[in-house]
Amino acid sequence: MRDPKENSPAARRLRISRRTFLRGVGVTMALPWLESVPAFGEEPLKAGAPAAMPKRFAALFWGNGVNGNHWWAKGSGKGMELSKSLQPMEGLKTKMNFIDGLFNRSAVGVGIHPGQTGNLLSGMPLMKGAVLKGGISMDQVLANHIGQDSIQPSMVLGCEQPITGYHESNFSMAYSSHISWQSADSPVPMEVYPSLAFDSLFENRGTRRTQSILDRVKDDASSLGRKISGHDKAKLDEYLTSVREVEKRIDRMRGDQAKAEKNAQGKNMPVAFMKRPDNGLPEDIREHMKLMCDITAMAFQTDKTRVVSLLLCRDLSGLFYPFLDVRKAHHSASHDDLSDDFERIARYYCSQVAYLAGKLDAMPEGDGTVLDHSCLMFLSNMWSGNRHDSTRLPILTVGGMGGTLETGRVLSYVGKGDENRKVCSLYLSLMDRMGVKLPRFGDAETRLAGV
Amino acid sequence: MSFLRSISSIAILLLGCGTIGAASLDKASLELDRRFESTIRPFIETYCLDCHSAEKPKADFDLSPYDNLKAVVRDHAHWEMVLEKLQIGDMPPKKAKQHPAPAQSQAVVAWILEMRRHEAEKNAGDPGPVLARRLSNAEYDRTIRDLTGVDLRPTKEFPVDPANQEGFDNSGESLVMSPALLKKYLGAARVVSEHAVLNLDGIAFASHPMMVHTDRDKYGTLRIVDFYQRQPTDYADYFAAAWRFKNRAPLGKPRATLPEVAAGSKVSPRYLATVWEALNAKEDVGPIAKVQRLWLGLPVQKRGQPPVDVRKDCEAIRDFVVALREKIQPEVPNLNGPGMNPSAQALVLWKNRQWAANRRTYDPELLQVDGLVKQAEAKGKDAPSYNRKKMKKKAREAEEDLKVPSDPALRAKYEAAFARFAATFPDVFYVKERARSFVDPEEEKANGNVGRLLSAGLHNQTGYFRDDGPLYDMVLDERGRLELDRLWDEFNMIASVPQRMHQSTVYFERTDSRFLSDAEFDFARAEDKDCTSGAKVKKLADLYYAKAVRTGASAATLAAIREHFDRVPVEIARIEKMERDAEPKHLEALVQFAGKAYRRPLAPEEREGLLAFYRTSRDKDGLTHDDALRDCIASVLMSPNFCYRVDLGEASGKEGKAPAKTVSRAAKENPLQPNGALPLSDYSLASRLSYFLWSSAPDEALLARAAAGDLHRPEVIAAQARRMLMDERVRGFAVEFGGHWLDFRRFEEHNAVDRQRFPNFNDELRQSMFEEPVRFILNAARENRPVLEFLDCDYTFVNPALAKHYGLSIPAVASNDWVRVDNIAGVGRGGLLSMSAFLTANSPGLRTSPVKRGYWVARRVLGERIPPPPASVPELPADEAKLGDLTLRETLAKHRADVSCAGCHQRFDSLGLVFEGFGPVGELRTKDLGGKPVDTHAVFPDGSEGSGLAGLRAYIKAHRQDDFLDNLCRKMLSYGLGRSLILSDEITVRDMRAKLRANGQRFGSLVESIVTSPQFLNKRGPEDLATK
Repeated sequence: MRDPKENSPAARRLRISRRTFLRGVGVTMALPWLESVPAFGEEPLKAGAPAAMPKRFAALFWGNGVNGNHWWAKGSGKGMELSKSLQPMEGLKTKMNFIDGLFNRSAVGVGIHPGQTGNLLSGMPLMKGAVLKGGISMDQVLANHIGQDSIQPSMVLGCEQPITGYHESNFSMAYSSHISWQSADSPVPMEVYPSLAFDSLFENRGTRRTQSILDRVKDDASSLGRKISGHDKAKLDEYLTSVREVEKRIDRMRGDQAKAEKNAQGKNMPVAFMKRPDNGLPEDIREHMKLMCDITAMAFQTDKTRVVSLLLCRDLSGLFYPFLDVRKAHHSASHDDLSDDFERIARYYCSQVAYLAGKLDAMPEGDGTVLDHSCLMFLSNMWSGNRHDSTRLPILTVGGMGGTLETGRVLSYVGKGDENRKVCSLYLSLMDRMGVKLPRFGDAETRLAGV
Repeated sequence: MSFLRSISSIAILLLGCGTIGAASLDKASLELDRRFESTIRPFIETYCLDCHSAEKPKADFDLSPYDNLKAVVRDHAHWEMVLEKLQIGDMPPKKAKQHPAPAQSQAVVAWILEMRRHEAEKNAGDPGPVLARRLSNAEYDRTIRDLTGVDLRPTKEFPVDPANQEGFDNSGESLVMSPALLKKYLGAARVVSEHAVLNLDGIAFASHPMMVHTDRDKYGTLRIVDFYQRQPTDYADYFAAAWRFKNRAPLGKPRATLPEVAAGSKVSPRYLATVWEALNAKEDVGPIAKVQRLWLGLPVQKRGQPPVDVRKDCEAIRDFVVALREKIQPEVPNLNGPGMNPSAQALVLWKNRQWAANRRTYDPELLQVDGLVKQAEAKGKDAPSYNRKKMKKKAREAEEDLKVPSDPALRAKYEAAFARFAATFPDVFYVKERARSFVDPEEEKANGNVGRLLSAGLHNQTGYFRDDGPLYDMVLDERGRLELDRLWDEFNMIASVPQRMHQSTVYFERTDSRFLSDAEFDFARAEDKDCTSGAKVKKLADLYYAKAVRTGASAATLAAIREHFDRVPVEIARIEKMERDAEPKHLEALVQFAGKAYRRPLAPEEREGLLAFYRTSRDKDGLTHDDALRDCIASVLMSPNFCYRVDLGEASGKEGKAPAKTVSRAAKENPLQPNGALPLSDYSLASRLSYFLWSSAPDEALLARAAAGDLHRPEVIAAQARRMLMDERVRGFAVEFGGHWLDFRRFEEHNAVDRQRFPNFNDELRQSMFEEPVRFILNAARENRPVLEFLDCDYTFVNPALAKHYGLSIPAVASNDWVRVDNIAGVGRGGLLSMSAFLTANSPGLRTSPVKRGYWVARRVLGERIPPPPASVPELPADEAKLGDLTLRETLAKHRADVSCAGCHQRFDSLGLVFEGFGPVGELRTKDLGGKPVDTHAVFPDGSEGSGLAGLRAYIKAHRQDDFLDNLCRKMLSYGLGRSLILSDEITVRDMRAKLRANGQRFGSLVESIVTSPQFLNKRGPEDLATK
């Protein structure tokens, strides 16, 4: 979400000047992790030292479920057989897991739609009415634990604006709009503008703002310094030294990157290119999603962040799919969930994760690809949009998490008993592999068996 | 690393602090130095260095580096231990190879005493080295709380602050900065800035982040609902107030006016006048006549009798009014249109407006002519509902109060009476929550659709609706109206309400509703930035209207659509104008915020610098107003002017505009001390005072004294201190000073208790234990109690959890309610010594520890300096049930029999043994965990004997009271100054003791002595640097 005041005339004027300002830097080049520079705050790698690849995690959400007749997988590895909606994954089936039968207990029997979404990644019960309460989401737990190792602790992206108001279940529609929560009470602001998401990573918008603040602090400190003497000055110097140290880290990060880029160009090394997206929202949702996937891929490849949540569409989505020859909007279409129309929609979303996974898989890293060191968790909040059935969630994971997650499997927990099919157990298992070991999360105290 | 270098340079600077002020040795010093060479150094070499030398010094005390007077002075605290040891004849130990003659030891004692006296007098009033320092975590949190008005505690994730040698974490000696911590400061500054609310004419702060719409909605709605709920709208209160006015003479207030009675009854004077008029009007038929009869039937107050309680009777009248009012309220039918969704905003908002317009009217159709009951028609009830659940309607019943005669003239008279009733008593004063407007309210209640604060009653859309006409028109005065208008404007602006409502229309009508699903509406996308632009709104409105015409909507529906789309752009433009108008006000508020954060007025160049930063952020970096302002706030919080305390002297204190004229005055009244001290600027003094007493920033009253330039006057600063001690912020002192002095600051996290064995020790009890000494010290500060009560008194403070733990029965109070309990000697409590926080903190879990408890008394309470134990001491068993045949007391006695232990242990074991009647969580007990009876008898260090708490108190009273007072003075002085004590502080300590005695040992005199001391009022001047 952007500043709600973005529509004021003043803000509009500024957007124009900003576009002008950025014209010169319309393309970013960033280096893949291995050739790149140490992340913010880390010591440079010693030459020749074996580099453990960082692990990355992304949660990709789409709302209102699938056409259940066409969402299945059989067999394993190369021989895995994929249903119609999963066809986009054909080339990636050895690198994915099809996970069936999991559920989120707090999202069952409490009321449909927002009540099935706002806690999808937290597993906590949601409060109805005007005051929102749920739980911190697992992507933000990861960001809090491992986020300090990269420029941005996490990226929270969306392709559809959040809305509020009430659903008839008396849950706020904000729950339908936000899957990432920084605390029980507050969602993480979601970036829906590709241009701004791009800036935050590649124009170092965040670090540039920090740098401006630090510059100002330095001015303040030195003018204060002129009024004081010896001992006090020494204490203030301690502060200034710390400020400079933090600035230097920012500078080093940027400087090394520029240098490495120059070197790399001379040696024909892989350099990731991406053009800065235009300001404003893309007219075509396909373009919007592609850009968000591209930014995620770039962010992972260049290790700018290791945690992403991407809301491809809201629950109760108002997106239209003329290019799929579907006239109804997403949510309305989901009420006829076994229709061909809705199958095409589900397949379209599957193609998004396939696109992102394919992109990551084309990025060599170490002895594998970026995808091999990542996990894309692709999930929806219900199985059937007509029955609003959240007792069974469609889930795919793609990527091997540096060899810690076996892939090419179909894992079914259907009929295994509610204790053994908690989606929060899956989160615990995945967080373990990200190096964040928690005794419990949401309603789960055990890892998911068989993962 | 340059960072490390700067740290070590501070260490070097610090080392030279002891004798600042004298350029060369004076005559007496020369003499002392000579005697050190001739007498002291040889004594040390002969009798001490065998053990206390550089190689593994005993008690970690190496005496070898001291080779002249200067070195000793620098380390006088250590040498005080030498003094004590020699005075009590502890050293050299009995087993030492050679022993000095008593006269030899005496000579050293005399030298040390002389050295101390000389140094103290020579530098009397030396302000000492108070370094610039960052705010401690506790200070940071409290300062943010007082700066923003919300207790955000941004330092939650910061590392714990280290303490200085006096045990406090508020001095530059221990508070360092590092790049890692600086990054946490950045994070904290950002977090605070994300809580900022950019409102109509300034900046406020919310208790939650304000970065997403739903959080902004929450902020706005809760404030409005809170305002509503504060308003007096209970009819019963008005009937009671009117009764009070009527009976004013017998109630003893014959001259009371109606507004005075309203004020006394906490009701609206305006509405009370309305009710009074109605109650006294001439009414012979209809509901008001009945209300009058009921009201006149209230009991009559008799003169000289206690006031009659008419509350219940007034509630009965209210219930009659409310019930009747409900029965005559006009129904508002849903508006429909072919193909339109009943939740279309144009339709729902139209219905809401009808409701709002009819709060003071009634429906004559609902009256029962000659008792004839007319059943409700189905109109309006069959509107499409999303739940398909229909409520079974109860048939209307005959109702005496609704009965009207059929005779036209009479009937008209009745109807007029009903109209007056409805106008006087609105059906509601305000609507604070609304379920879906187009669904039967009873059905919605059954659906559980409650708690949608200020909702417009739409389905799946953002929407708010203001419906508070009766409150506004009848109850509120001018100020209340302004405040309410403002709250709504602020909410609409902060949360961009009209813009988002229109975006919701676009989303909903295009999707769920499907009314706008035709291709001609494809241009309308809620996510487009210009979705709410005038042109797009108009285009949508025209096409919407045209479609409604096409599909055959009724004239009423068409009118509602037209009205809706006429309102939308007007309201959006109004809010956008507010946003533009607010921007310069935010900048003014930003400058004020910075002044508050810097604890002094901003200098003109500081103001300009801040505003320039804002401009650059917007113009050059392209940030929005919102982002730029938040960055400015973060930059203020990152400025050392905020997060550091730098005491500026008058000579260098060019802080802002105000000090300029006070420089000369303060300097004149408080001229340079002979040792080169500078008077502190009044603003620096204000901060020093507030961080001492509140652990937080100065308030406006204190800053006003600084601005007036007279805070440095002893009588002014003492008066301010007295005022501040009464303020609840003095809790900062109780927690920070008390907590560090008595070592319970981290007791809230104490985890050494085995909760299986002590199941009653839960988080609530632990929190209560922590709170007890805080409350006690708070009371001492606010009530100016004699400080000896710390040790000996017959009261303490408990909440229910602690009362239960102590076996006290107290009046039933809520769990966070604390009460003072007196006469509690019977349960073995009273004062600090027997508080369970200390008894528990000094127990290792499954047994008590007389050693730790005694050590705590000796060190923390009596201020004894005791060296650390040698590394080779064997551990006692962790569980006292596993001590074998010996009791813990007997085990310790064996311990003391060992000469190498005895030297120290005989000084404190006994002070802990008296507490054996208290178990590991401070509970009273008669047997220990091994089942052996406890014995609380002890032989104290001076050979006297006593038992239990009473025995210890008697011993302290007779022999150690001075130690306690002396220690308290030193600790508080050190805390107040924000540095460790130096020799020259001895004069001030002596002065504090004298004033304590003269003032009945009252707490306030300690504070007054400190804040009027030269150390507190001055700082070292720059010239002492020249000497170093």
